[in-house]
Amino acid sequence: MKSYAKRYPLAGRRWRHADSVRKALAILAAGLTTGAMNAACPPDAADGAVLTKGELVLAYRPLLADKSSRIPMAKHFALEVQLCDPEGVSIARLHKADATMPEHRHGMNYRTLITPLGSGRFRIEGMMFHMAGHWQLAFEIQAGGETTRITHDVQIE
Amino acid sequence: MRRLGRAALLLVLSATTCAVADVGDFTPAELSRIAAHGPWPLSWTPDPGNRVSGNAAAIRLGRDLFFEPRLSANRRVACASCHDPAKGFQDGRITARGLVTGTRNTPGLLNVRQQRWFGWDGGHDNLWSASLRPILDAKEMGGSAARAARVLRSRTALDCHYRQAFGKPPAAGDPELLVNIAKAIAAWQETLISPPSPFDEFRDALTRGDTRAAAAYPAAAQRGLRLFLGRGQCATCHAGPLFTNGEFGDIGIPFFIQPEGVDPGRQGGIKRLLANFYNLLGAHNDDATRNNATATRHLRPEHRNFGEFKVPSLRNLTLTAPYMHNGSLATLREVARHYSELDEDRLHADGERILKPLKLSPQEVDDLVAFLESLSPSKALPAPHAPPTVDACHAP
Repeated sequence: MKSYAKRYPLAGRRWRHADSVRKALAILAAGLTTGAMNAACPPDAADGAVLTKGELVLAYRPLLADKSSRIPMAKHFALEVQLCDPEGVSIARLHKADATMPEHRHGMNYRTLITPLGSGRFRIEGMMFHMAGHWQLAFEIQAGGETTRITHDVQIE
Repeated sequence: MRRLGRAALLLVLSATTCAVADVGDFTPAELSRIAAHGPWPLSWTPDPGNRVSGNAAAIRLGRDLFFEPRLSANRRVACASCHDPAKGFQDGRITARGLVTGTRNTPGLLNVRQQRWFGWDGGHDNLWSASLRPILDAKEMGGSAARAARVLRSRTALDCHYRQAFGKPPAAGDPELLVNIAKAIAAWQETLISPPSPFDEFRDALTRGDTRAAAAYPAAAQRGLRLFLGRGQCATCHAGPLFTNGEFGDIGIPFFIQPEGVDPGRQGGIKRLLANFYNLLGAHNDDATRNNATATRHLRPEHRNFGEFKVPSLRNLTLTAPYMHNGSLATLREVARHYSELDEDRLHADGERILKPLKLSPQEVDDLVAFLESLSPSKALPAPHAPPTVDACHAP
């Protein structure tokens, strides 16, 4: 079976946060395979970039139509997200996903559609980074009656 | 492997730069960005939304209809009246002139297959829909289904190619007739691809390590290229092999229309698109998966769309003057000066924040123009592609 790391490589993104880079690379190096995906929480390498805020853990990876290794500029792509709550059971809900260019003071030209896939996994469609530069991904998660916002910086060239 | 490939390419590019004095001292980052503007031409794939895309009979039919003035109400205006093959399929006018004079500059059609949105306001999400609008528009050609059916039946080749492409005779009462005609015209336009330019030769020479060939690219164009990639930030929007991100922006070109009125640009385009019976969300999209409708499905109208116009491709500019959505800039030098002296007060309050006057020196204006000119083919464009009449359609 083809590994997730091979199917959805992370090579195209420039991580702004060194921690994220180290985390992603370390997990990728472990060479985890598709089978590991089922062990949803905590997220593993197959889930791409791993972000934390408080006790919430979110991992995301791009799903690219051409199976290339980088998020291309000005082309649509989807994201798959894995959420984990403190107990390691996915009861959190991805409420909103968007992206902006802070220096340009605008966001994407397209609105996203979130589809729950079960077990804390979600698919986000309609993403497009239409300009080169610094983008900030923003996820809004609802869990336990509270809304948490997690952001991640991405450099697109 | 792809990372390794990119690294190897950068090494080759860097080595090339160091070895030849006549090739600008581009940084590895610049070399990577230069490489991203190619290769050219892009690979061609059929349009999944057009079932006759790539079909020889449809291409031949579309080509003949493109030059057919009898489709118009006064029998004098053809698609080619505004989209002149000798001018990059543009007309050289400030604004288009069909049955009456319009308010926007005619877009060229070379490489049109590679576009996501069509028209300055992106009012169409597919080429066949964009091709149908001027045929029916009372200000452009003023055609109709009945007129189109008469034209098709009037010539054996037209009638025959229509039957071959669509498997039925052209009938005025057929609700598919007009969209079929548009799909045939689109199939022909998809074959309009510009040849490589001096920039492409430079870019390709760098990537294969051919320093002698790379050195043939003029120094002024190289300086203009560096400005384009760097301080000008032009490649932020004019990206990729087509030199456009295919989206929209407000760059301070006035949107007032004489004698009074305004052109809402992308804001109006989105409204027209979503109300259009022939958009990719509709029944005439031949892609059963609707995967080709992603952009339309996810569109997000914004306040800033007012006054935004499509970011045009920068290929073939020497063929398609004047410039901008209203044809208000006559030369590439005026375009460079526009960005040099950008009036920030004209920009939308919610618009792009990185646009600042570049304050270019006269030398820098010359260099930027030299680079832009190098994006046009140095050789004459080949005659419009016209596949031979399909055998069975030869007149007896």
